[in-house]
Amino acid sequence: MTAPIFRFKGRAIPFRPGESVAAALDAAGVTLLGHDALGQANRYFCGIGACQNCVALIDGVVRETCLTLAAQGMVVVPMEDAGG
Amino acid sequence: MAEIDVLIVGAGPAGMAAAIEAGKAGLRVVVLEQHQTPGGAIFRQAIADAPAVRIPPRVAAIRHELSAAFAASRIETRYGHVFLGIDSDGFVLAEDRNTGAFVTLKAKSIVLALGAVEKILPRPGWERAGVSTAGGLQVMMKETGRAPAGRVLLAGNGPLLVAVAAQMAALGNPPVAVIEAGDPFRRFAAGVALAAFHQHLAVEAFGYLRELRRHRVEWQRGATLQRIERDGEGLIACVRNSAGEIKFIRADRIGLHDGIRSNEFGLAPANARGPLVVHAGDCREALGAEAAIADGRAAGMRVAAALRGFTHAEPRELTRLRQAEAILSRLFAPVETAHPLAALPDDTVLCRCENRNVGELKALCGGADGLTGREVKHHGRFAMGSCQGRFCADNTAALMAHLRPDLPAPQARDLTGTRWPIRPVPIAALAASGVGQAKEQEI
Repeated sequence: MTAPIFRFKGRAIPFRPGESVAAALDAAGVTLLGHDALGQANRYFCGIGACQNCVALIDGVVRETCLTLAAQGMVVVPMEDAGG
Repeated sequence: MAEIDVLIVGAGPAGMAAAIEAGKAGLRVVVLEQHQTPGGAIFRQAIADAPAVRIPPRVAAIRHELSAAFAASRIETRYGHVFLGIDSDGFVLAEDRNTGAFVTLKAKSIVLALGAVEKILPRPGWERAGVSTAGGLQVMMKETGRAPAGRVLLAGNGPLLVAVAAQMAALGNPPVAVIEAGDPFRRFAAGVALAAFHQHLAVEAFGYLRELRRHRVEWQRGATLQRIERDGEGLIACVRNSAGEIKFIRADRIGLHDGIRSNEFGLAPANARGPLVVHAGDCREALGAEAAIADGRAAGMRVAAALRGFTHAEPRELTRLRQAEAILSRLFAPVETAHPLAALPDDTVLCRCENRNVGELKALCGGADGLTGREVKHHGRFAMGSCQGRFCADNTAALMAHLRPDLPAPQARDLTGTRWPIRPVPIAALAASGVGQAKEQEI
């Protein structure tokens, strides 16, 4: 059976069930998750939903990647590509 | 459905302990937890088949006992619920991340067990990708059973750094070095006190240090991380060692940690007309997991007693655990006595969310009007951003105090203020909830 995946910038990111989006991206070597409106790096930082640094647009909603469980077929978009 | 007697926010050690106690008293207890499993950050559960992160046997036993009692209590726990605050009518507000719905709950009493956040001192470059908190690296390691990959440097202050380093080493990727501002080996009196009164902590610390020695990880004491620069795809850390020499260390990831503090940001003081609100565990006083369990248990008893008209005192073991924390902080007191923020270059980012730097704060504080913390927030956007000051309010207040020694020292709370929501929530969820409309009808 192949590992489940989600999409980040067109890349297929594999994950293990129960893993957060942040952990799966980290395992895939992604440390830069995008850039916010002021140009600061979005990156994994506190791991507990407090800092808001690791946010991305996940299936259309801005979410902390550290608090969001990865799911098959999920689409994760960096903040600079979130539009609006 | 029966009215909620006790609503507990957070299923970490304090929240779990409070829930168990309030449940024993026969009350209807509901727990809200932002994650999908109980445990909080300190007792974060590993995903299926992931190797466990090594923790001292004593801590493992405490964790096991608490988790088993919480599971056996069958307390109703709503996972994926992010706490947003308590409104002026005493309703608890949360976002249900499973459905995206905004939730309002009414309870006779509320226990806030929101845990701690790490203190992170700003250093030039701390805002870069690849830099996280050391606790952030640790919680991901607990979740995945994987040590953070590549060359990892840990830097800052306190016993957590050696614990994370030892856990990484045991999982196969020891850090390239641990940079520690203090030098516990020079603090004899505190070392003796720790060994005499809190022997298990000394034993645990030596266990971690033995692991570091076995993997030849250098624990550089009396050293500070001066700045972090980009180095191609990686990072380069500029470190000043105890001899005052500047050394450069290449790393892919850097974990920072300068202690912990209560995560009580933005919480309004309890309204006398509203439900009883009790803070428990690290959210009340950051003393770590063992104290959080004792304090959570006391909070559970306290709300149970209050609902029946009794009062309940602070647990006695907190005195001992507070003393242990005080000894540890003496043991790890930074060797450098200069103010850690005084020498920062002007372009050092202080408030990462709003991209505000040291020079901008100096300019704001340079005027004759002596701005308050609140004014610095509103004029300068410090602590205004999406973390709501959790990672900059302490530092901004401390630098303000340093820049204006003749004015009363501002506190983090002066900058953050109190409000709901205490965390960002999608406007669509809020709009769909009808919370605003209900208010208008009341008026």
